[in-house]
Amino acid sequence: MGNLLEHMGIERDRVHFSWISSAEATKFVDVVTEVSKTVRALGPNKKLVKDYN
Amino acid sequence: MAGNKTKIVAFLCNWCSYGAADLAGVSRMQYPADIRVIRIPCTGRLSPKFILSALREGADGVWVSG
Amino acid sequence: MDTCINKIREISLELLEKGEVDKVIGFANGTIPMATSPIAVTSKQDIEKLVFNSTCGLNLANYLKQSIKDQKSKIAVIAKGCDARNIVTHIVENQVQRDQLYIIGVPCNGMIDKAKIASLFDDDITSFSEDGDTLNITSSLKEEKLNKKDYLRENCQLCLHKNPVIYDTLAADLVEEQTLDNPFPDVEKIEAMDSDTKWQHFTDLTKNCIRCYACRNACPLCYCPTCFVDESGPQWVGKGQDETDVNTFHFLRAFHCAGRCTDCGACVEACPMDINVRDFTRKLNKDSFEMFGWEAGLDLSKRPPLDVYSPDDPNDFIK
Repeated sequence: MGNLLEHMGIERDRVHFSWISSAEATKFVDVVTEVSKTVRALGPNKKLVKDYN
Repeated sequence: MAGNKTKIVAFLCNWCSYGAADLAGVSRMQYPADIRVIRIPCTGRLSPKFILSALREGADGVWVSG
Repeated sequence: MDTCINKIREISLELLEKGEVDKVIGFANGTIPMATSPIAVTSKQDIEKLVFNSTCGLNLANYLKQSIKDQKSKIAVIAKGCDARNIVTHIVENQVQRDQLYIIGVPCNGMIDKAKIASLFDDDITSFSEDGDTLNITSSLKEEKLNKKDYLRENCQLCLHKNPVIYDTLAADLVEEQTLDNPFPDVEKIEAMDSDTKWQHFTDLTKNCIRCYACRNACPLCYCPTCFVDESGPQWVGKGQDETDVNTFHFLRAFHCAGRCTDCGACVEACPMDINVRDFTRKLNKDSFEMFGWEAGLDLSKRPPLDVYSPDDPNDFIK
């Protein structure tokens, strides 16, 4: 999925996949932080966003 | 851009990451507030359509976690 | 190809006369020159309608499921290399039963790119015929003799499986398979672009799309009773010409073909706007080949890669 999105020109770092057990609260916090950081670095998504106006 | 304007749609499995999020909450851990959590019964419930829908509706990022 | 159609008619006649099959699915001449359309022949008077030439670009595997009436009936189908691969996919996905099919295999030397030929002429083409590797095409203004090899469709130029992978009988001798150093030059060209250029490329590609869904209807993989584009609650994709909706449709259509597409080119063949929709599916073909060593429709005993779990599946995308 990520590969085809990237092929179409959606930045790879916008879609993340991870595996966290329900006991891993620290890993959860780490992953949220990392995901937020990479998505923030990309800035707002303009591609594939439906304009309802 | 201001930190809290980023919108990340997080699809979290009820039994795994959703539990982890809950545990992080009760443990009063701090994490960025950019994510909007959608609880799914299992990561297998996720269809590629969900990811595209999220992006179409204006999400800046999507995070799928089992 | 002339001898091959005689053989096809001969086999079809025999099958129908003996009552072994209810119908033969093949190609008939279309209503305009240089076009063929699928036909289901049920009686021997109609056998003469069957044709096979370099314009039979559609995929007949698409018409099997709707042609089989009940569990007892049996039909014959004419299958090129790619059709046969799609028949294998259909059998693996339990859409048809192998014992309900009689496959007349036709080794294929590629189909012609009609849009490319039409672009040589200023007016409509009035007649088309072929003689070996020479195509004779006339319009009211001029007459052209073309070499078939120069006017093959892109997917046929890159085809690695010209011979049918399963068949009950062959209508012609097997042809030599080509070997390519790089089967995915077109995908690599797009991969080399940066993400904005890629986005621009696909937006330009689909800007003429009229959302007629001919690509979906021509595709043998698209057999869902209700397609996601027709679902209204929730509506996954808008129905209009909006750029986002068009791109979402093409993206998801392609993604549904992941690990199943045989690159038969029926989608491109069917597109009235001449959009090369293969640009989407080709990437997935390349990925399934590189990640799983998989080419769709080659083996009845193998499940598609997205259907099975194996501990050594690539998983470096998961944190």
